[in-house]
Amino acid sequence: MVFRSCLIRWKTHHLGSSIHPVVSFSRSLFASSQVYQTSWVQAVSNAEKVVGFPTSFLSLRSVANDEISNIAVYLKKLIGTGHPLITTAKNLVYSNDKTHQTRGLLVLLMSKAAKKESGQDILPEQRTLAEITELVHTAHLIHTGVINLNTPNANLEMGNKMAVLCGDFFLAHSCVQLATLQNLKVVELIAQAISDYSTAEFIEVVASENDSALDRWTQQMKLRYGSLIAHACQSTLILGNNVDLIEAGKSFGLEIALAWQANNEIQSYQNNANKADHVLSKLFPETPSVDVLSNFQAVRDRHVDAALKMLTAFPQNDASLALGNIVRALKY
Amino acid sequence: MVVSARITNLLAYTSRTVSRVSHLGNGTSRYQWLLSRNTSLLQLRSKIQTAVPSITSNVSVPKENIPTADTLVRSDLEGLYEDIREGLNNTQPELRQIARYYFNGEGKAIRPVITMCMARAINYHLDQNSPGVVQKQKKIAQIAEMIHTASLVHDDVIDVADSRRSRPSVNILWGQKKSIIAGDFILAVASGMLARLQNQQVIILLSQVLADLVQGEFMQLGARENKDERFAHYSEKTFKKTASLIAYSCQAVSVLSGADSTLQSIAFQYGRQLGMAFQLVDDLLDFIATSAQVGKPVAADLRLGLATAPVLFAAQKFSELNPLIMRRFQEPGDAETAFRLVLRSDGLQRTKELARQYCNDAVTQVAQLTPSPYQQALVTLAHQLLHRMK
Repeated sequence: MVFRSCLIRWKTHHLGSSIHPVVSFSRSLFASSQVYQTSWVQAVSNAEKVVGFPTSFLSLRSVANDEISNIAVYLKKLIGTGHPLITTAKNLVYSNDKTHQTRGLLVLLMSKAAKKESGQDILPEQRTLAEITELVHTAHLIHTGVINLNTPNANLEMGNKMAVLCGDFFLAHSCVQLATLQNLKVVELIAQAISDYSTAEFIEVVASENDSALDRWTQQMKLRYGSLIAHACQSTLILGNNVDLIEAGKSFGLEIALAWQANNEIQSYQNNANKADHVLSKLFPETPSVDVLSNFQAVRDRHVDAALKMLTAFPQNDASLALGNIVRALKY
Repeated sequence: MVVSARITNLLAYTSRTVSRVSHLGNGTSRYQWLLSRNTSLLQLRSKIQTAVPSITSNVSVPKENIPTADTLVRSDLEGLYEDIREGLNNTQPELRQIARYYFNGEGKAIRPVITMCMARAINYHLDQNSPGVVQKQKKIAQIAEMIHTASLVHDDVIDVADSRRSRPSVNILWGQKKSIIAGDFILAVASGMLARLQNQQVIILLSQVLADLVQGEFMQLGARENKDERFAHYSEKTFKKTASLIAYSCQAVSVLSGADSTLQSIAFQYGRQLGMAFQLVDDLLDFIATSAQVGKPVAADLRLGLATAPVLFAAQKFSELNPLIMRRFQEPGDAETAFRLVLRSDGLQRTKELARQYCNDAVTQVAQLTPSPYQQALVTLAHQLLHRMK
């Protein structure tokens, strides 16, 4: 077992040429997650350079009047209450691991990857769409962080209140921004993504008559994360008038979302002391944990490969290369 | 004294409008019929016909089929809730159940009624009778009700409310988290419906409503230090939280009908003024309903920390209310003190007066439209609203 994981690490270190070997051999249990993080951060940082500047919430500044700036005051009161809103807010402001605001980056890369001539730049509408994608995702994170309270608790009620309002604020602002894009299809696609991730919260990952637990997991993740990224990729190609790439772009978005989520599950499974309660154990019941891991790595790799295959439809340029690197980084 | 003069003015004005609209008799009875919901238009048919030019004059309508002012629009809204429930069909069973919970047909559907009345009045004015246009306008009425309901679901979580329309609220039955997600789902389905109407301007108008609703909720969290700014802050909050949806829905149906900017503005202003009056009457009733029953808890708005029009007017007479407003009536006895001072002041009178002014202005707006039963229904709506205050 130890030998096997060393072997995997040795392989990963050879395949990912940019990774320093010391990293992969010095950490025993979490090595593969460290390798993954390093190569992920590298791929994302390089990709950010390709699109000029990363997504930001710049347009929010124009609407942030004094009422909304009070959010900070209310959030301060929540510190120490343990409400999930605080963690979400913290991750938005300080994120060193480059796992936040990557959706906007994907949209920008997709926009640029579709340009057939090197001189063509990302359209302002496409930048707006990248920001909308980020806003919608943030609203999703915040609203799913609302907690159920059976007994009165003033602090947590305040936390819920702020979470509802902040999420609503991001959603409303993205609707206003969407309207400025003057494209009805794009409005419809993003609205569909919101209704999909709402539906996802009501899907249980358990085997049924027709579906295996893995099918249900895939279905839930498609709706929860895949729909937004796929529809955002599709939308940016509509805005860029890259008609021939729309289908490939949409499938790429779905596959990278699934690969990404599969990779997250793998990282959390590896770092989890109580493996029996982890979702992956439910997907492969009565299977030794090492096989659970390799079975699920195969699932992830299928999505990685499918995403890479979709990229072959795109012109060869620095943006499509960057997208490829991000996808490949998910394999470790 | 001042108030009764205002009433007289309004009545005089109303009767003027009414007689201009349909030459309906004279004296005090001129407006009486407007205040009654069930007045049949049947008996007024010949008079309406004389005031109605073009389209219906060459269409012979069987006598018994002429509906009352109320059913004029209600017939357009038949199947409103079925259509909304149908739209919310495509999801997991539990989410479907939560999302449909408030669309059981028990709501007053006041927003769809106003929206369709305006749509029909504008169509009449523009001689617009394409069935396609009316179909789209009905969609706007549905979308308005959906936006309103989604915001109710979220408001109930924010206010930790446990019942609505004498049923347990969604958050009590399914918990806060699922309720919030269901609200988002309703909104997403409404946005999809909106996009399928294929009209850019309508999308812009209704997304502004969403932004206004949240901003209004944020405004409600804060109070102004400067007491001179407080009333303006309250009015702006009222517009955003209540009037915006009605105003923009009215404008949206006028856009679909092909209205120019002047006509769009009439539709918007009517919706805005009616919406403002609507909220003022609500704020007033929050005081009146409780003062009638001694021993009952005082105004619910005060309990929530909200300073509405009656309190703000009262504070102009009793400056000791200002610190209470600033601390959102949080200290023991604050709500009771505020309640007592409001009743001792002219706050309730002045709120009534302001609501009347808004209704008056709303009526002025629709008086510019070609007279039609629908236009009369809009006037009726304004008066029914004021009638709630009595």
